[in-house]
Amino acid sequence: MDIAGNMTERPETNNMYGDQSDEEDVKVTAQEPIKPAPLPKAKLPDLPIIEKNNWLIHMLFINKEFEKCKQVIKEQIEMTERTCEYALYVQGMIQRNEALIQESLESFQAAAMLNPNSLENLKQVGRSLYLLGRHKAALDIYAEAAKLAPQDPELLHNQGVCLVYLNDYIKAEECFKKALAVQKTEHSYSQLGKMHILRGDKEGALAFYKKAVENFPENSELLSVLGLLYLQMGDTQRAFEHLGNAMTYDPQNTKAIMGAGSIIQDHGDYDVALTKYRVAASVTPESHSLWNNIGMCFFGKKKYVAAISCLKRAHYLSPFEWRTCYNLGLAHLTMHQYASAFHFISAAINLKPKFAPLFMLLGVALTHLDDPSNAKQAYEQAISIEVDSPMTYLNYAIMLFNNGEKSHAAAQYAKFEMYHQKKALNDPDVNALVAKLGPILHMGS
Amino acid sequence: MALVEKQLDPLFLARSYLRRRKFDSCVEICSKMLEKNPYDQCAWFMKAKALTEQVYVDEVEADTDGIAEMLMDDNSIAQVARPGTSFKKPGTSGQGTSTSQGIRPMSQSGRPVSGFVRPSTQSGRPGTMEQAIKTPRTAHTARPVTSASGRFVRLGTASMLSEPDGPFINPSQLNLAKYADRPGLNKVLFDYLFYHENDIKNSLELAALATQSSKYEDWWWKQQLGKCYYRLGLYRDAEKQFQSALKQQPTVDNYLYLAKVFVKLDQPLAALDLFEKGMEVFPGEVSLIIGSARVHEGLGDLDSSVKFYKKVFQYDASSVEAIACIGTHNFYSDMPEIALRSFRRLLQMGVVNTELYNNIGLCCFYAQQYDMSLTCFERAINLANKENVADVWYNIGHIAVGLGDSNLAYQAFQMALISDNNHAEAYNNLAVLEMRKGKVEQARAYFLSAITINQELYEAHYNLAILSEGQGDLNTSFKEVRKSLEAFAEHVDSKNLLAQLRQYFTLL
Repeated sequence: MDIAGNMTERPETNNMYGDQSDEEDVKVTAQEPIKPAPLPKAKLPDLPIIEKNNWLIHMLFINKEFEKCKQVIKEQIEMTERTCEYALYVQGMIQRNEALIQESLESFQAAAMLNPNSLENLKQVGRSLYLLGRHKAALDIYAEAAKLAPQDPELLHNQGVCLVYLNDYIKAEECFKKALAVQKTEHSYSQLGKMHILRGDKEGALAFYKKAVENFPENSELLSVLGLLYLQMGDTQRAFEHLGNAMTYDPQNTKAIMGAGSIIQDHGDYDVALTKYRVAASVTPESHSLWNNIGMCFFGKKKYVAAISCLKRAHYLSPFEWRTCYNLGLAHLTMHQYASAFHFISAAINLKPKFAPLFMLLGVALTHLDDPSNAKQAYEQAISIEVDSPMTYLNYAIMLFNNGEKSHAAAQYAKFEMYHQKKALNDPDVNALVAKLGPILHMGS
Repeated sequence: MALVEKQLDPLFLARSYLRRRKFDSCVEICSKMLEKNPYDQCAWFMKAKALTEQVYVDEVEADTDGIAEMLMDDNSIAQVARPGTSFKKPGTSGQGTSTSQGIRPMSQSGRPVSGFVRPSTQSGRPGTMEQAIKTPRTAHTARPVTSASGRFVRLGTASMLSEPDGPFINPSQLNLAKYADRPGLNKVLFDYLFYHENDIKNSLELAALATQSSKYEDWWWKQQLGKCYYRLGLYRDAEKQFQSALKQQPTVDNYLYLAKVFVKLDQPLAALDLFEKGMEVFPGEVSLIIGSARVHEGLGDLDSSVKFYKKVFQYDASSVEAIACIGTHNFYSDMPEIALRSFRRLLQMGVVNTELYNNIGLCCFYAQQYDMSLTCFERAINLANKENVADVWYNIGHIAVGLGDSNLAYQAFQMALISDNNHAEAYNNLAVLEMRKGKVEQARAYFLSAITINQELYEAHYNLAILSEGQGDLNTSFKEVRKSLEAFAEHVDSKNLLAQLRQYFTLL
């Protein structure tokens, strides 16, 4: 915007001269006809008429009066036979705003032809190419522009963005870092972070987001992303801190609400989580993850019918989400509706084939549907995917025991004990089962 | 039997036939009597009555808006109405409720899918010619160009053909003034001209003369005048006549006619008001309650609509329309089990068609009765015809998606497209399946087909925007997301995407 401002200032002063001289002319002729014309008249031919209306174009543009502005630009361009750089520039801006990118590219190119040394023109040509998805061409333009201003942070940032699209992450990172060295912007930080997430490097992303938050402590978007990253890495305490900060700056930030809600939910504080979700529900009523979480809140509160209803809505909104299917399966198992549970679990397995807990649940469902041979297969499959999950062994052992295969059950139970001690889980339900099952199986073996 | 009939007095026999709705036999006897004595008023009366009854269509329900009426509609009072006061601009749908577009799909004219297809209320008012030509959800057109050339003319010509020796009454040779003064004959003559001959001009003249001769005291004639004006498209005059008739004698059909005029004038609130008054005079009149429910539905206020449909149940427990609409509402309010009850009741009442089996199948699926669900769909396909088999396949595709069986889903959507290659939703879903497989270009092609077929399908616009954004084609993405928001202004994901894109576009 700087350059645009500069450009308008110049013609404005010119124009004032023009106006004054005109008025003086009139006055002179009207009042003192004898006096010869003074100096201004001699100056007139020197006025650069091409730039005459730039002040008007600028004013209309910044007031967003695009229709009027277009009219003025059209006249100006016709009058100057496409030699008015500023008019072409603003025309490009307006066209971009109307999503006519191809046309705007042409306008900017014309402007760049008129004044090849203008950094701003080249930047806009590059941006237009970028918006059209022609990243290589955009990079070329940026490289050319970089000759004019090698240290321009915006140029460096845009180069980085294009490089990300071309999958050249190393160079992109370099560009972003250079840009940040010159000027610290939120965009560069978040691009760097996103890039690292894309590459699966969460540690790296975390570092950049941390820096970003240090520099921009009030940006709720950055805060919430950082919080979610912490959450993914298992650092609940810090995650909650950042998400909380994000919510103080923007109470409607759904990302932060969802993250914080799920943390609260994990702690078993379902009512608080539900009040959080209520805020999110008014903003994003069609979010499947929201409904999924609400459903699981009800599930935690042992209101199973409400839970199933919410989960089903989530499933309706996003049928490809295996987590919802998994939860639905779990809810139906709890409701002793094993056939329905089986269907949801098998749907989830279709969507997510390599996930051991799904097979374990399938085993449970099949056990209750009186199909022990298939149930056994399901358990074996679960074990083959994930060897060290104690719950699978425990369920397997129970099923085998109920089926009369005591020795086999004891073997599975032994494995359960081994992994259970390793993981040191402490669930009252499991402990109660262990107390019941352990002595019987040990006696048998 | 024939012997007995021969012995009977022909006049008595004709009357008996008329009463038993054996109109052909009645007309035959009356014609014979008129041959003997052309001035036999009794025979003339009965013949006219029988011929009218043969082609009688209830005027309240027979109403198909033609393309011309829809596009060149200058009857509506407010061209730019406030939300909630016009059918053109249904009230802002409550977010997250069952009326939200994210939950309940829209028909092509951009209103929530109704449970019951009926003339005129299903269609709304389209904005473009293309949309007007398409009937909801599909691209087939079943719409006459204008209503004048539609059903009514067809009725008229059909009746002409059935008479071998020329028309029974030739309206152009009638001395209408003479008949208008004869209270016994003028009404049946009017009905004959109006329904059988479809000669609105002469009927109007007759009605006007008769009204005069009755010294403006007969509400019946005023109502007929209103009907004629309505047919001629003079809604303001029709309104006056109906109002005046109503003042003299409130009758149910008078209320219904007047409400129809208000609907035509795009004054839904006035129509609702009128129904309210009508229900005070005739408490428990089902047609008035249903009318009110329909207007509410047209306004997108489904909760009130359902309230009225439930009221219908108190008086008429077997109203198909009410059951179907409540069933649909329950289905989209996450209560498939209760919806299933409604649809099962319809089945018990003897309604057997593809749509019903399809709905039952869907309800069964969402209520986890999988075994029933598939058999229902099988039946639906067996009963289906060319027009609706595509929708059944489309729903089967949805079931397959719900079961996580993407191969079956893919095949089902393909089947839907084979039966109806203008099924935009199927294209959209196919594209989503392709996208999951990673075939981006194929997906893009399908999205584009979906968009060209149905502009109102916000899902396709949004999906294409997301796809383009991922590929870096921000220009297309920006355009599409704006279209998505045009179709569904409250779509949160579209809004977020737009905000994100706008950053790129306005950044200097």
